Amino acid sequence: MTAQALSVRGLCKRYRDGTEANRGIDMDVRAGEVVSILGPNGAGKTTFLRQVTTELRPTAGSVRVFDVDAVASPARAKSLMGITPQEAGVFDRLNVREHLELFARLKGIAKRDARAAALEVAEELGLGAEFTKRVGDLSGGQRRRVLVGLALLGRPPLLVLDEPTTGLDPASRRAVWGVIRRASASGSTVILSTHYIEEAERLSDRVAVILAGQLVALGTLEELLGRLEKSYRVSYRDPLDPEGETRTRYFASFAEARRHVEGERLSEYSMARASLEDVYFALTGHHIEAEELEEEACGV
Amino acid sequence: MRRLNDIACVFRIQLAGMRDEAGPFLLAAIVFPSAMYLFANAVGGEAGAGDAARFRFLAGSIVFSLSLTSITWLGYLMLENRFTGRLKLFATLPLAPSSYVFGFLVFALAQGALSTATLLLVGRAFGVAVKPSLLPLALVVVLTILCLCGLGVVVAARARSFTEGSLMTDALGAGLVFLAPVYYGPEMMPVAMRAVSRWLPTTFAASAVETTLRGGSDVSVEVLALALTAALTLAAGFKLMKWRED
Repeated sequence: MTAQALSVRGLCKRYRDGTEANRGIDMDVRAGEVVSILGPNGAGKTTFLRQVTTELRPTAGSVRVFDVDAVASPARAKSLMGITPQEAGVFDRLNVREHLELFARLKGIAKRDARAAALEVAEELGLGAEFTKRVGDLSGGQRRRVLVGLALLGRPPLLVLDEPTTGLDPASRRAVWGVIRRASASGSTVILSTHYIEEAERLSDRVAVILAGQLVALGTLEELLGRLEKSYRVSYRDPLDPEGETRTRYFASFAEARRHVEGERLSEYSMARASLEDVYFALTGHHIEAEELEEEACGV
Repeated sequence: MRRLNDIACVFRIQLAGMRDEAGPFLLAAIVFPSAMYLFANAVGGEAGAGDAARFRFLAGSIVFSLSLTSITWLGYLMLENRFTGRLKLFATLPLAPSSYVFGFLVFALAQGALSTATLLLVGRAFGVAVKPSLLPLALVVVLTILCLCGLGVVVAARARSFTEGSLMTDALGAGLVFLAPVYYGPEMMPVAMRAVSRWLPTTFAASAVETTLRGGSDVSVEVLALALTAALTLAAGFKLMKWRED
């Protein structure tokens, strides 16, 4: 295996209606890394991942998965990937065992090993007790876990997970996080898109931000924070308007932030080092929580 | 070996998914054509009570059953997979789209074999003296299924919505039977329709099935026509069924 799990160069996608979903994305992901992709709705995250996973043919550019040309040899590239698409359905009438076992066989796992592989993945995802239950009888979170489980079968060296935890309950989300951590610890590379800043912060070695089809940032949390000129945040209520909304200001240093608190005689405030969310806001102009609330309100 | 394994797995996934729907399947593939056979006998009146008409009605019902199985039902399953996101699960695998289609073809062949055998028993139970030439009959049934499945795959791959696809498969599944001289002779059709219907695959299928039910085996013209049509429709189906969007 090469040290580069994914190498993307000049990736563009222009749809027939003229929409440019990706505009010249370059990205390298090293083997063993966990990279989270953040971006506002419609920024081009899913289009990017669909091109990486060979589901969508790029208009221009190249995608190499462990040095395999994914555009020219999609089947070979897919044999190196475990993929959880954003909007995939499960076979409701199969039970968990059948679902995992049959897809294990489709991944080329020998019949005698498929059952063991299915059970191992089910237990890892906390679905051991549901192993013989019909998928249609599972909760939404459990069904999503089955989808993640399908990606894990065969322990592929690269996992590509498109919003694997969107809409999951906390227990299911923790189960998926555990899977991602264990996969990474065992040497797999993980690329995931997410709307949750906390998820990106907790799981990732590096974070990528896609905006309007372009990669606007890629780096470790420290590297991204280093891009902020003012990396200390003070959130406060104005003493002259105590019923008003919380305000936020950024400062270049802790001392400067402190001086502001004292100078304004703030009594209700919090002071913290800027976080990934602040970087995200600085890069995109969007607050990620606002997007999540909008999505939830729309029932997404 | 890998390809055979893939085809078998797709077949088993569909088969397992059918467990709860065996009833509706039987209704669609066996009971409905059987009822059509009885109905055709009834409206055929005294003239229809003759052996010739009974053979035609039984052959027509078998073709009707194959059409329902291959286009309407199989198309429905493929559309369901596509529009509920299940197809994406297959698309994420290093699986050839043709293996996916072949898995469905095997599924349709199993259904076709079951429904044809049942309808032969129904025919015997109602007094049709069938003496089928089994090998030619099997060949005709297989080619008919392949030919009609190809159409089902084309519709399932091209439909812009589940509703559009379902309407198309329903219309084709029934239309190809009732627009062809399957339950009645071509002389009963409007002249303009005869020219079209003589080229329909169901016309060749009904003629060949009737011949083989009578014990005949000279169905070379029909077999050739069905084989050509199957090659065309399946080639189109394989070409259109792909994992990657442009």
